[in-house]
Amino acid sequence: MEAHKQSQVKAEAGSRNPIVGALPFFFGLALSLAMGWWVFPDSLFSKEPQPINFSHKVHIENVGMECSSCHYFREDGSFNGFPTTQECAECHMEAMDWSKDEVAFVRDYVELDREVDWKVYQYQPDNVFFTHAAHSMDNCGMCHDITEAELCSYGGCHPNMAETDKAPPVKTNRITGYSKDTMKMWQCEKCHTLPEHYEMTGSAKGQACFSCHK
Amino acid sequence: MGIDRRDVIKFIVGGAVGSTLTPIPWKLTDDISIWTQNWPWIPTNIGGKNEYTPTVSKLCPSNSGMLLRTVSGRPVRPQGDPDSPLSGGKISSLAAAEAQMLYSPSRVRRPLRKTSDGTYKAVSWAEAEAILSEKLGNATGGVGVISGDENGSMNEVLSALAAGFGSDDCHFMPGSAQAEAVAYNQLMGGEGQPAYDFEKADYVLAIGADVLESWGPVVATRRAYADMRPHGEDPKSTWVYAGAFQTNTAAGADRFVAMRPGAQVALALGVANLLIKEGASATGLSGFASLAAQYTPEKVAEVAGVSPDALQEIAKGLASAQKPLVVVGAEGNEGGSTAAAIAGIACNMLLGSFKAVPYPRTVVQGAMGRGDMLAKDVASYVAGFKGGKAPEVLITYQANPVYALPGSIKTKEAFENVSFKVCFTTYLSETALASDLILPVPHSLEMVDDVATPYGYGKALYAVARPLVPTLVDAKHPGDFLLGLGAKLGKDLGFASYQKVLEAKARAMGANWADVSRGTVYVSDSQASTYGVRVDADAVAKAAAVVEVADLTLCPVMKLNFGTANCGIPPFNLNTIRGDELDSDYLYAHLNASTAKSKGVAQGDVVRISSAAGTVMAKVNIFEGVMDGVVAIPKNFGHTAFDEFTRGKGDNVSALFAVASEPGTQASVWTGQAVELKRA
Repeated sequence: MEAHKQSQVKAEAGSRNPIVGALPFFFGLALSLAMGWWVFPDSLFSKEPQPINFSHKVHIENVGMECSSCHYFREDGSFNGFPTTQECAECHMEAMDWSKDEVAFVRDYVELDREVDWKVYQYQPDNVFFTHAAHSMDNCGMCHDITEAELCSYGGCHPNMAETDKAPPVKTNRITGYSKDTMKMWQCEKCHTLPEHYEMTGSAKGQACFSCHK
Repeated sequence: MGIDRRDVIKFIVGGAVGSTLTPIPWKLTDDISIWTQNWPWIPTNIGGKNEYTPTVSKLCPSNSGMLLRTVSGRPVRPQGDPDSPLSGGKISSLAAAEAQMLYSPSRVRRPLRKTSDGTYKAVSWAEAEAILSEKLGNATGGVGVISGDENGSMNEVLSALAAGFGSDDCHFMPGSAQAEAVAYNQLMGGEGQPAYDFEKADYVLAIGADVLESWGPVVATRRAYADMRPHGEDPKSTWVYAGAFQTNTAAGADRFVAMRPGAQVALALGVANLLIKEGASATGLSGFASLAAQYTPEKVAEVAGVSPDALQEIAKGLASAQKPLVVVGAEGNEGGSTAAAIAGIACNMLLGSFKAVPYPRTVVQGAMGRGDMLAKDVASYVAGFKGGKAPEVLITYQANPVYALPGSIKTKEAFENVSFKVCFTTYLSETALASDLILPVPHSLEMVDDVATPYGYGKALYAVARPLVPTLVDAKHPGDFLLGLGAKLGKDLGFASYQKVLEAKARAMGANWADVSRGTVYVSDSQASTYGVRVDADAVAKAAAVVEVADLTLCPVMKLNFGTANCGIPPFNLNTIRGDELDSDYLYAHLNASTAKSKGVAQGDVVRISSAAGTVMAKVNIFEGVMDGVVAIPKNFGHTAFDEFTRGKGDNVSALFAVASEPGTQASVWTGQAVELKRA
């Protein structure tokens, strides 16, 4: 009887230990932090690979091309976006280095005269009017001493593709349908609200709603 | 150690606290808010390559040369074609709406046949062809044609088909070219189309012709105006507008001279008188000088309301100019005086600036020439339907006579005397709804068509409109349809397709089909001989003698953004209609303060304006840009057909047009209309 009382006292003393008693709380805390910081951000986005691998690194470092060699402005000032298969075929009518990716490109697209269904990393929403022409080297390069690749990824506009050897998958938000790299308004505002940009954006009008939302 | 209820609660609380320290709630809230703005029915942009394809507008009467911008093949917006002489890089408000009008709810989507209870039933093209074949095959009472396209080769197919049934009753809708065609070709012994070289003119006198808004190839004329008057430099040309209302031409002119509507002949004679006094002369004007001499500045002031000083100044300006030009036109671009056209041509002859270009040669055997069709009087023709002169089959092509012909002839009632009416139209117009068979015509961006030497341009010219987008409705090219139908009825017109007609037309014009079909505009320097042209002074004298000063005279106003009788008001242009032009269901009638006071009306009063032909209702707008004793009313309102963007807005001013036969020329005229105005 005495022994039983002693064990009961010990058990009550153990349950009152604050560290042991808080373990479930910390376990729940750790689990939700892990879910929130590692699992959730990844699972929120679907991942879709590009239909064919393209190495920007090879084209920029080895061949000495620039972003605008393929992503150029047309004569009317509009932005070309992705090059057509015909434009790629100006160099790749036949495989040049016989890499697996290049052979597949020539076989599946050039020879069949098919366009590649490139996935876009960041279409802006339709309620946003964005012109590449206003954000080109001709304008930004007047003050910023940067390369085209730096300009394109400056401020988080684009993922920095210039050094990628393997095209990353396009991550699409499962709720909104936008890609992970679609710019948010605050990212635009980072530059648009800078007083030192007033000269380029036509005074504070660059901050006006209609400068982006037509 | 077991897990009790308290441990589970601790775990949940820990998880909840932890989750607030992660992006989960904040990111989810943000994404859900974005998702709520992302409903699938919100239109999304479709990217793609911009392409700019040259073509020519067939919707706009000014036949603007335009570049159609497409993105991945989808039409987006027409813009001015800098390489087109009909554009010079500019565009009219109507041509700018052309891509939008592809999707107009009032487009006729399939062939329709009127049933016995007055409703319409969809029929196949084969059934439509069978119906029309039967009607034409039995058309012992003749075939009539009314065309709304003055510059296209479809008129040749239509008139040649009618000729196969022994008919030459092929007419154009009224327009500014008609008075001049009758004047020059029938009464003056000329052959061809008077041509106006605005590009070189250093002094332009527009008498009633709204050359910077609705008369002739407006966009080309505006380009010429702008080129001679570079911004910030001294203008190289002087423009004077004589008219009763401050139109866009008046606003652009150096001088706006108030002139009563319908007094064009008096003013032109007054100008001619002063020019002759200054020593101007031309062959073929015997007898004209003595007629003109009667139109002293004082007489002109009495008839036209133009001050003697203004007349003297105009004559002086014309006489001292290197390349002067006089353009006579009717207010609202229709029903103008043939005698005024003669007097205008005489002025240009005196100034040494008159020239003419040949009418486009016909290529379809049996077809009527443009000059012959222009000389036909459609107002009298349709009025005759009630007097037992109705054709058995009436073909209307891109024309809306039921809405647009002068109201006095009560066109809709007259139409009921035609036993079978077939309407080739792109839009469901008033005329379509008065027809027995409605056949959809592809939109002008969907079919091949042409523009040959538009009226008012200074040179012979040929341009081709090509099918740039797939046809959105079950329409057939009317040219191909009628050529096929003619062949089946034993009236083979000699062409397998309409494109073959245009290829022949291009050759006849001297143009290269391969070039024009790619959008190049062919311009020729060929001119028509003006040898032997003379003025019948007696005819002009008789016509001029009847110009009277009414207590209140009507001045119809035509602006291209109001649309046309054929296409209604493009939704694109609704925002360009000013608050003092249209107020909900009422259009505005413009009066100056003095006239309004004499009529006992004030701003915003609802008034009834009536003539011998009909009545319209309007609200009063006090505007000092209107001459004393004149009421100005815009055209192309008051439609009862088309769509919600056009229907039920204002009233149709054509209801006021009372047709009269002009003494001396016997042409139908309806300008200078006397009207009454009373508070409703």
